[in-house]
Amino acid sequence: MNKIAKYLFLKVLFLIASIFVSATIIFILPRLVPSNPLIIKVMTIQRRLESNPEAVEAALKSLYEYFEFNKPLHEQYISFLAKVFRGDLGTSISMFPLKTTEIIGRALPWTLALLFPATLLAWFIGNTLGAVAGYRRGSIFEKISMVISLILSQAPYYWIAMLLIYLFVIKYSIFPLAGAYSETLIPSLTPKFILDVLWHYTLPFLSLLITGIGWWAISMRALIIYELESDYIRFSRSLGVKTRKLFMYAFRNSMLPQVTNLAINLGYNFAGALLTEVVFSYPGVGWYLYSAISSLDYPVIQGLFLIVIIALFLAVFIVDFIYALLDPRIRLGYSEV
Amino acid sequence: MIGELLYNKRLIVGLILFLIPLLLGTIGPYFYPKDPYERSMCSECPPSEEHLLGTDARGYDILAQIMEGILTSLYVGFLSATITMTIATVVGVIAGIKGGSIIDEVLMFIANIFMIIPSILLAILIAAYIRVRSLEVIALVMAIPAWGGWSKAIRSAILSLREREYIYLSKMAGYSDIRLAFEDLLPNLASYIIIAFMTNFAGAILTEASLSFIGLGPTKGITLGKILFWAMQLGALRRGVWWWFIPPGAIIIMICVALMLISTGLDEVFNPRLR
Repeated sequence: MNKIAKYLFLKVLFLIASIFVSATIIFILPRLVPSNPLIIKVMTIQRRLESNPEAVEAALKSLYEYFEFNKPLHEQYISFLAKVFRGDLGTSISMFPLKTTEIIGRALPWTLALLFPATLLAWFIGNTLGAVAGYRRGSIFEKISMVISLILSQAPYYWIAMLLIYLFVIKYSIFPLAGAYSETLIPSLTPKFILDVLWHYTLPFLSLLITGIGWWAISMRALIIYELESDYIRFSRSLGVKTRKLFMYAFRNSMLPQVTNLAINLGYNFAGALLTEVVFSYPGVGWYLYSAISSLDYPVIQGLFLIVIIALFLAVFIVDFIYALLDPRIRLGYSEV
Repeated sequence: MIGELLYNKRLIVGLILFLIPLLLGTIGPYFYPKDPYERSMCSECPPSEEHLLGTDARGYDILAQIMEGILTSLYVGFLSATITMTIATVVGVIAGIKGGSIIDEVLMFIANIFMIIPSILLAILIAAYIRVRSLEVIALVMAIPAWGGWSKAIRSAILSLREREYIYLSKMAGYSDIRLAFEDLLPNLASYIIIAFMTNFAGAILTEASLSFIGLGPTKGITLGKILFWAMQLGALRRGVWWWFIPPGAIIIMICVALMLISTGLDEVFNPRLR
């Protein structure tokens, strides 16, 4: 137990330190860029809100308050960290006076609902496919599934999304083009609304799922082949253990690295989900990030990034924790490392 | 070794798949002399003899745009992968040689952080702050967040190399760390670095396409991702102009699949255990 505690303590330390470093990166970036991006921003605010001088004043004031360029650098830094710590991520400029945290609260559920089922299902299907392919090495099934997996693993998320739209929306109008639900409906828990949400959900979900499968299948095949060639399998085979059982041994041992990879890949799938949302105008984090980038809404861009990065670090931390519980080598042997 | 290179099927298929777009980009324009920046009167014309892959909403010839886009995308990807691998090698070698020291700890702490933050996200954040983005700036923006994992791999390779006898002999002979790195360690890592470079090259092409797709790509010029960006922005999807968005994406996949095949092919040649 003591060793797990030590392991966890180090992991928590890494978690806090990395969040701190990420916040610092986010703080430094806008201050490193030679041409101050705020100047253009100020001009666009004045143009956009021309008819409403009071709104211009308020938006500019919040922008200056957010960046505090008039104060010395170390004071800016401390006050930035203090704000992050309090959960104050500034106010949107293009969607003034909406707060960044409110936007995140609105957008994050949609992204998570898209990301987690698609990632987990892709993980499951891909690993099964790869395991069978590795087990039936040299078969036609292996060759075809690996070629398809390789292509899928290199396909841009948004391109697959565009193909799906072309096929299922434009050619055969089966699914809707954009959004998370029909604009004529009011969000509620009625069966009609839920069905409508699922109807909009299908294509973004499919495009994430399809692009996700490839990488898992390829890596799992390699892992299974490696395990099947290892000494313990050869020894068991010489003892006459059934092939089915050997496969299960190899499969179980190959699953552990794939659990760690799940944590590492979550970030990439997240980025993929963001791009997919852009194609489908799906109102998640990616869509808001995209519109914030288009209008150079810096507080929102920074806030969304910080939340996303913290979420990713937390996810990796949780996986590490589960891993420590699962793997006796970490559980028992940490003191030797 | 050369013979093995020629007999590796993945490597050969990969090289062929890579040559097709490369030739299309380099000598294609001589056979299909159309200016990718010139508008014709024909808007969203389907593929015809006049325009082999049709035109987009603004009247640009799509095949000519793709030829230009291939070269720019390859250039940005190559440059970015070169920068990434240079940073990764320098950091990995320093951390490996100084293994266990405070320098090693700090470098690997930073590498771990960069490994968890998806490089595409950090690249988006950096690119959003830069107003004028040349091809070289884009390559740099993509390289800065991408080196973490590779430097860790190089470091662990060096840590295992350090236990070899000839390294001890070199150390006893009084070689400096720099000489040790260049004469004894890097030559042994060359194959790994080349393989990693190929993977990275493919990744950089995909990242550039993603950056361009959300409007954060190079400000000037045409890349494969920017063709997709314009197709999305100008409503190619809604009007079903398939010849505008299907070919650029297919070429991106072709280049990246080719690079991955080359990378695994080289891996199989250099590490016979994998076969």
